[in-house]
Amino acid sequence: MGWLPWSSGGEPNKASDGGRIAPDRTSRKRCWEGRDIFFACLDRNDILDGIKDDKEARRKCAKEVEEFEAACSATWVKYFKEKRVMEYNRDQTIARIKKEDAATVQELKSQGRSTSN
Amino acid sequence: MSSSLRMAGLFGQAARVISVPEFSQSHRILPFLRSTSRSQCRAYSQAQRPRSTQNIKSALELRNNFSTSASYARAKTMGQLKQRNSTGPFSWKAALLFVLTGAGMMIYFRVEKARLERKRIAEMSKGVGKPKVGGPFTLKDLDGKEFTAEDLKGKYSFVYFGFTHCPDICPDELDKMAEIIDKVKEATKDDKVFLPVFITCDPARDSPEVLREYLKEFHPGIVGLTGTYEQVKNVCKQYRVYFSTPRDVKPGEDYLVDHSIYFYLMDPDNDFVECIGRQDTPESASRVILEHINDWKREGKPLKLE
Repeated sequence: MGWLPWSSGGEPNKASDGGRIAPDRTSRKRCWEGRDIFFACLDRNDILDGIKDDKEARRKCAKEVEEFEAACSATWVKYFKEKRVMEYNRDQTIARIKKEDAATVQELKSQGRSTSN
Repeated sequence: MSSSLRMAGLFGQAARVISVPEFSQSHRILPFLRSTSRSQCRAYSQAQRPRSTQNIKSALELRNNFSTSASYARAKTMGQLKQRNSTGPFSWKAALLFVLTGAGMMIYFRVEKARLERKRIAEMSKGVGKPKVGGPFTLKDLDGKEFTAEDLKGKYSFVYFGFTHCPDICPDELDKMAEIIDKVKEATKDDKVFLPVFITCDPARDSPEVLREYLKEFHPGIVGLTGTYEQVKNVCKQYRVYFSTPRDVKPGEDYLVDHSIYFYLMDPDNDFVECIGRQDTPESASRVILEHINDWKREGKPLKLE
């Protein structure tokens, strides 16, 4: 693993035929690990949005964010931070719908009971 | 009376075995089962062994529940009834045969029904007009040779769109693709009927060399395809894949590409048959694919096995 196109800050890795070499399995894995460690730190500090609360996140998880950004390209960092918020909102919505459904079922049941009586 | 009673009992049992809820056809093939009424079915199915006196007695009571006195009068002859029953034409062998035949038919019809259902779905995308997904395209393979839609014909192709700088979804899906390839290859004894294809949505960065290195990490059997910006845009349009790749990329610019997260299974006529998505496991996906491949082979349709 001799290269990391983004950590050096210089020219991204070029293939001999003009293409650009993508992260391989090893560097992907390292990026995902960095992400998981950083997000675990955000969880501990009750921070959801790593972009909006960037300053707070950098203050509380300074080491983690540094390692995360070193292991992943800038677009990936942004993508993962956005995805975290999106997935949180999605889970919240699902939970809300489930709760509402349960309430509706409960209501219908009680209506059924009152009409049958 | 005695034999008809036993027959009804047997039918009751057989009906219980056969009438698995989702198998509606049993009712169609064996309409005579309907001759025993619903309540009788229930009564006889509760009576596990109709031979036992107790059960026949209770069955008789149920059968004659219109008059309460008659059942008691008949119950007196139960001993005789039992004797005659044991020598009647309906033995346990007949019952076994009946149940086995019923079960055999049930299995056969269930398999046939599933096959016809798949065929119907596969046929839906054929026939009049253009197929909804897929169509002519020209790209180049990793050796720089031209690769067109014609090259997919004669095989079941499994098409995936992605790009090598994809953060997390494509690598996951390509690992899944690798597992699917191995499973299908094993089941078809590697007869080259299955052709996994990866088309890049990001031709600016994904040159043949990059693509080759990338795909090698997942499975050596995946055919990588790339092309010019216009060619890739066209193939994405043919497969109804959302294409958002920027046209003019500055050297060194980093960006992400939106793309479809589905695998498309195309039959040897290059017509779309099935979508494999994120929710599918390698097991469920390879099962679906093998079903289609086996259907095609069973019907003796042409394949290109080279």
